[in-house]
Amino acid sequence: MRALILPCLLACLSLALPTERAQATEFKNVLVTDVSKDQISIRSNYSGETLLLFGAIDTQPYGEADGVVVVLRGPAQNITLRKKNKQFGIWVNGPAYRLGDLPSFYAVASSRPVAELLPSARRAELGIGADVLKASNLDAKVDAEREAIEAFLRLKQQANLFATQSDAVEIIRGKLFRAEINLPAGMPVGRYTTEFFAFKDGALIGYQTGELPVDIVGAGHILHEAAYNMSLLYGIFGVALAVFMGWTVAIIFRRR
Amino acid sequence: MLIYLPIAEMSANVVTLIGMGGLVGFMSGMFGVGGGFLMTPLLIFIGVPPAVAVASEANQIVASSVSGGLAYWQRRAIDIPMGLILMSGGLAGAYSGVQLFKVLRAMGQVDLLISLSYVVFLGVIGALMLRESIQVIIAARRGRPVQARRPGQHSWILRLPFRMRFRRSKLYISVIPPLVIGYFVGTLSAIMGVGGGFIMVPAMIYILRMPTNVVIGTSLFQIIFVTASVTIFHAVENQTVDIVLAALLMIGGVIGAQIGARVGQRLRGEQLRALLALIVLGVGVKLLLDLVNQPDELFSLTRMGTGG
Repeated sequence: MRALILPCLLACLSLALPTERAQATEFKNVLVTDVSKDQISIRSNYSGETLLLFGAIDTQPYGEADGVVVVLRGPAQNITLRKKNKQFGIWVNGPAYRLGDLPSFYAVASSRPVAELLPSARRAELGIGADVLKASNLDAKVDAEREAIEAFLRLKQQANLFATQSDAVEIIRGKLFRAEINLPAGMPVGRYTTEFFAFKDGALIGYQTGELPVDIVGAGHILHEAAYNMSLLYGIFGVALAVFMGWTVAIIFRRR
Repeated sequence: MLIYLPIAEMSANVVTLIGMGGLVGFMSGMFGVGGGFLMTPLLIFIGVPPAVAVASEANQIVASSVSGGLAYWQRRAIDIPMGLILMSGGLAGAYSGVQLFKVLRAMGQVDLLISLSYVVFLGVIGALMLRESIQVIIAARRGRPVQARRPGQHSWILRLPFRMRFRRSKLYISVIPPLVIGYFVGTLSAIMGVGGGFIMVPAMIYILRMPTNVVIGTSLFQIIFVTASVTIFHAVENQTVDIVLAALLMIGGVIGAQIGARVGQRLRGEQLRALLALIVLGVGVKLLLDLVNQPDELFSLTRMGTGG
């Protein structure tokens, strides 16, 4: 399976949203969709949540769809992957692979395994499946680089930032569908995109897309902004807080 | 109860963090050491990016050294001119340490620098402490009082130019050695997220020949300013200070230290030191094994511009 998929890492073209390509195809759009939230707020007690993505499928004129696929994609990040190797008896970071821009978060939920719905070349065009994401600077034919791409996917999956669930879209009587995507506590912030696809006989018959902003809010937001935009003031604030706390506790304990 | 750490960009358990602060604070109060050398590795073990662990721990040490230093200030057990000279060296050291940190971070080698520094310093300090306390324990069993070891003559160092009188330490020595010591400890502070008392105190006693009654207070005095500047330099250069993380550690740390100090007064010094030496060596060995053993995952991801 992997051997089949990897060559198309090369074949697929860009990270850009497949919106234009999807819309360029002539079809009557059978999907009406919505998401349970129009934004995700990461407060200081955020411990992840489940996002519900749902909608209706018009059975006219194509009949019941073969499958529905939902993709949630986080903002792109410029990623460097490093591999440790042994030097002088210890393991140190050795070769670095500059992977270029890749989605920080990527979840695919579908009613059937996506490979059954359409061929991988077509999936690469539409950006469906973590295995068809493009690592722009890497050549998957070289063993070391293939290993690097696999490591990237593995690390992302372990962090719950990449997920593929081939039974997570539930189609109800051919007309309604719902999918749940788990958002982990450590999800990256930024502008996410949602995409919904419906397929019939390997052809796209429905497509919807939307945006889902994910932001740190509250005190965490203020601190995060301050740390990057007013870093001197932020540092001084940290020191002042420490002096205040140390002083206060010393005085409280002396009185006893 | 989970809390989101906005700079580490991860969620961590509040109780765990306060508990860790309390435990390390307790030990630091009991043994009279800063505790940064235990806290930074602990933070790394629970998954905080090493760069964030170092910078945030420096911030926490400001609180614990203010809390501890206040008592010495009121007892007038601080040699302020000496503290200021150590501090000047320390600020320069902190600055160069943070710059080195920044360069290695861009190269993806800062984690290695942190681990190696820890292995070397914990190994050496732990071994020396263990040897000394075992000698004291053995001598005490044989019923012989132990003479405080007076080290060999370093007086040529102290007779270098730019001499100055330090009244409270009853010294008339060159300012060069304290500047150099301060610089060295400042660099370590920036790289390791420690106060550096474990280097500073022996250096003051054995190299500068300061009387022991002003050593701890003066060390704390300079640690306050050096860790404060390390915090600010890291905040400006690397954006790695997580105030939420530091604040939680402070709460546990300052309270733990006060309790630890009371317990420590009832225990015997040499046994306490032997125990501390074993803990120091244990942490050092754990870090060394992590470097030597093949890791489960050879790959790591970094985002350009941010992250650990």
